[in-house]
Amino acid sequence: MLALSRKKDESIIINDDIEITIIEVKGDQVKLGITAPKSIPIYRKEVYIQIQEANKEAAKSIDVKGLDNLFK
Amino acid sequence: MQVKTKWFGTLEIGEDKIITFEKGLIGLGEFKKYTIVFNTEKSDTETIMWLQSLEDENIAIPVINPDIFLTGYDPIVEDELLESVGNVKTAELLVLVTLTVPSDITKMTSNLKAPIIINTDNLKACQVIANNQEYIVKYPIYDIIKQNSKKGGE
Repeated sequence: MLALSRKKDESIIINDDIEITIIEVKGDQVKLGITAPKSIPIYRKEVYIQIQEANKEAAKSIDVKGLDNLFK
Repeated sequence: MQVKTKWFGTLEIGEDKIITFEKGLIGLGEFKKYTIVFNTEKSDTETIMWLQSLEDENIAIPVINPDIFLTGYDPIVEDELLESVGNVKTAELLVLVTLTVPSDITKMTSNLKAPIIINTDNLKACQVIANNQEYIVKYPIYDIIKQNSKKGGE
């Protein structure tokens, strides 16, 4: 992993069109500003992992008959 | 083409029934081709359907039209995130949500946070994460569906 040190109001640029700026540093919390094309999905990692897990769990779903009865 | 399914044996699927997820589903990016298999014999979109992978028969995800259990489901996503399915302003879009059905069916949940969007004109699809804070990944739906089907039966 590349590690760069930045101060408040400093930025990094990724791939010409993504800019990440340090907006605020308060204790152990850092506020980031992200400028990127709208076609680039940006998610908090926890949310992304939750969805990954949910999809994998959904793929393990069972009980086809039970599902059928549910709608009868 | 012949498709091996997880729950319904081998089925004959027309080429016009193949749904392409250019980026796959989140966490299952390697699988791009799916088809929809109905849980009941009468191709009923009012119940649960299965998103069946054509590349791995063991990947089958139950999906449902959210309107069945929730009025006014309206996920907010940037149009640009839907570019891979075509022009969303003119296309006919089908929105489905995935279900997780554990062995105790009463604990079944629906993922409102990450709907599946299918362009029914070209059968390109994607899964997106909605900006809506109120939509959760594990929304319990057993009781809602149970109640609704009771009402329908009366």
